[in-house]
Amino acid sequence: MAADTATRVLFDEPGPRGRTRILISTVVAGVLVVLLVAGAVYQFYVHGQLVAYKWQFFTYSAIIQRLLVDGIGNTFLATAVAAVVAFPLGLALALGRLSKQPVLSKVSTAWIEFFRSMPMILVVYAFLLALPRFGLVLPVFWMLVVPMILVSSASTAEVFRAGIKAVDKGQWEAAQSLGMGPGLVLTQIVLPQAFRIVLPNLLTGLVSLLKDSTLGYIVSYGELMQQGKELVAYYHYMIQTYLVIALIYVVINWLLTRLASWLQVRMGTRRVAAGPIVVDLEPAQ
Amino acid sequence: MNQIWQMLGDNSSFLLNGVLTTVGLTILGFVGALVIGTIVAVFRVSPITPLRVLGTVYVEFFRNVPLLTLLILIVFGLPDIGLLIPLFWCGVLGLVLAGSAFICETVRSGINTISVGQSEAARALGMSFSTQLRLIILPQAFRTMVQPLVNNFIGILIGSSLAAAVGVSDITNVTQQLNIRYAEAVVLFLLSGAVYLVFALGAGGVGSWLERLVSKSRIGSAR
Amino acid sequence: MYAFSRRGLFYVAAGSSAAVALAACSSGAPPTGTSSGSASGSANANRQISQDAYDAVIKGGPVAGASVVSASPWATKIKSQGYVKRGGTTTGAIFSLKDPTTGRIAGFDAGIGDLLAHYITGGTDVSKLTQVAQTSVDTRETMLQNNTVDIVVATYSITVPRAQKIAFAGPYYSSGDSIQVRADNTTIKSVDDLKDKKLVTESNSTAITALQKYVPGNTPTLFADNDSCVAAVQQGRADAYILDEAILLGNAVKATDLKVVGTPFTVDPYGVGVNKDDPAVKAFVNTFLQKIFDSGDWLKLWKATVGVYVDGVPTPPAIGSVAGS
Repeated sequence: MAADTATRVLFDEPGPRGRTRILISTVVAGVLVVLLVAGAVYQFYVHGQLVAYKWQFFTYSAIIQRLLVDGIGNTFLATAVAAVVAFPLGLALALGRLSKQPVLSKVSTAWIEFFRSMPMILVVYAFLLALPRFGLVLPVFWMLVVPMILVSSASTAEVFRAGIKAVDKGQWEAAQSLGMGPGLVLTQIVLPQAFRIVLPNLLTGLVSLLKDSTLGYIVSYGELMQQGKELVAYYHYMIQTYLVIALIYVVINWLLTRLASWLQVRMGTRRVAAGPIVVDLEPAQ
Repeated sequence: MNQIWQMLGDNSSFLLNGVLTTVGLTILGFVGALVIGTIVAVFRVSPITPLRVLGTVYVEFFRNVPLLTLLILIVFGLPDIGLLIPLFWCGVLGLVLAGSAFICETVRSGINTISVGQSEAARALGMSFSTQLRLIILPQAFRTMVQPLVNNFIGILIGSSLAAAVGVSDITNVTQQLNIRYAEAVVLFLLSGAVYLVFALGAGGVGSWLERLVSKSRIGSAR
Repeated sequence: MYAFSRRGLFYVAAGSSAAVALAACSSGAPPTGTSSGSASGSANANRQISQDAYDAVIKGGPVAGASVVSASPWATKIKSQGYVKRGGTTTGAIFSLKDPTTGRIAGFDAGIGDLLAHYITGGTDVSKLTQVAQTSVDTRETMLQNNTVDIVVATYSITVPRAQKIAFAGPYYSSGDSIQVRADNTTIKSVDDLKDKKLVTESNSTAITALQKYVPGNTPTLFADNDSCVAAVQQGRADAYILDEAILLGNAVKATDLKVVGTPFTVDPYGVGVNKDDPAVKAFVNTFLQKIFDSGDWLKLWKATVGVYVDGVPTPPAIGSVAGS
């Protein structure tokens, strides 16, 4: 596995003295890690942040409802809507960029390069602060989701472009020698394979979108960060609230990333080292 | 039109400070992330289990936590346990922590491209771990890491803009403040966007140049 | 070898069971904002606006006669709609704050909106009288011009430039900016002491312009909301927080390590924003405001909201007394 290679690159196979040294280092490192964690907990304690009532309010069912159900629900809603629009748009942009027509190619490339370099917060501020001057005030949901779509479409386009390019040239040639036109080659042969290659990357893109949804905090859309802001406005327990929210995000995103890894293995397209991507036409069982 | 030039002129130092803050956040963030990321990468592949666990937990946490949440925790949460860090350095810290998680993975992939024979030969020659790392492994790994590192850099550049949401006066924040005062939204946001665009494209250009530079010799990598 | 190992699934299952257990063993009743409502001088650091007292004030407010409503097309539309669409916020302490456990919004601004809704529709379910749409400093005017909202009640300062785009009914509240510092601070007593200090304020407030006038050359740090600014002062990031006095006093109640110093150094009248096209709308709302001023309901609302944190018996401002209103 990849990890073993790297380990062997850096560290020699341990002989008996090596094994002893590793054992000692393990114990020492273990103790240090425990001390680190204990130190952090102690800091909390010393500043009165471990007091029960500051954490207890998380167990109230109404709070859980608001945080978990409303907050996470709205986060998922914004992310899902953004993904449903951004991913196909990204595919279209990638195809546009790869197309032979100069105008289409240039416009797609410009869009992609522009929105890949643009921080989403700037786009959100533009929608929140600049557009109203022209009389355009979107509902809060779209003030968050449209910037998400714009930025994500650009990075998704690059993902698709890499995927299409990764499909072996032989596939194109074989299909064309069979008499298939370029459109048919694309839809029947190349895109399905490209999809399977990039599916894990799309999931990573989904995780990115989910992290972008936290900007609902700025436009006051009721996703998880905004719920946290309202909780803090009422209860004033900052570190507790935001720590719990951070953990919720980590768990959700971690699960999504694991899903991506699992899919990679399932479809037999897991890459080894940085070598060429291997495409399996049959899914690994 | 004159009003716009007037506004830009009156606030030129304010705007310049904003740009410098963005640049500072990005560069300090990237350098810090590079250092910490490499260390964490070594942890993750070391045979010492507690270090491996620590490395894995670190990466999983900082890769999956949204940067905005992390920044808010650092700016408002840490003082609750006694750590009051100046706003600018809060931004740098957030970028270093988040960036190092991604750079760690980049470095790990880079190390994977080195054939084991290289390091075995180095060890046979009696090189110490750090010499081996410095002279043999990292230089070769770096060759394949240029493009991913440029992407990491651009990621940190874009991430720096989130510091505006916690009060750091980077170019995004300055733009927003000037907009509230002068209401010249279009000009200001185009200006801000141009700054990021220029930096991102510049970084991409530097990356391409670096890649050409290091691709001259490609001995030893497993391909 | 699948990434979704059994061990991973076990941890997920354990984690979710723990969460369910936590939820199940909650004592059910969350801490609501209810207090026994006594206003001035109480040393209870957990004073909150009482939802019941607030609801009672709203329900006790005047209701317009049918002819009054039908004479105004705007009011007729609202009556058939069944509620008032108010542009405002849900995180504004004292003026418009949402209780996370109940979802109810209460405060002085919220009350003006609810009283107006009760006046027009006569409805008695206070939770359904208004619907709040989140507005920011930049979207307020456009939302009124587009009729996305019927009114804007959001600590909305009356200024002449704004009055050129929309119409202001009122003023309904007269405020001023004041200074909040840590309780042990002895160096800052008034706006004159702010010169070289680290200042902080909300990023959308009128306090920014006030500070440009009174403390020129000092750029305050701006945060997105009230609690961030409070935290900044408490944690030592800033020396002083400048904002509307009532909000600062509300902060000082919960945070016993803060105090408000000096007297307000600006005058900030708040108005109800309405669409400018039909002057009868502004007249309608002004009639309503005068009614609640005269009937004592304005004072009752004040006592149930601002009065929980501030002592005194204020008098309502004079309608139309401010340029732009």
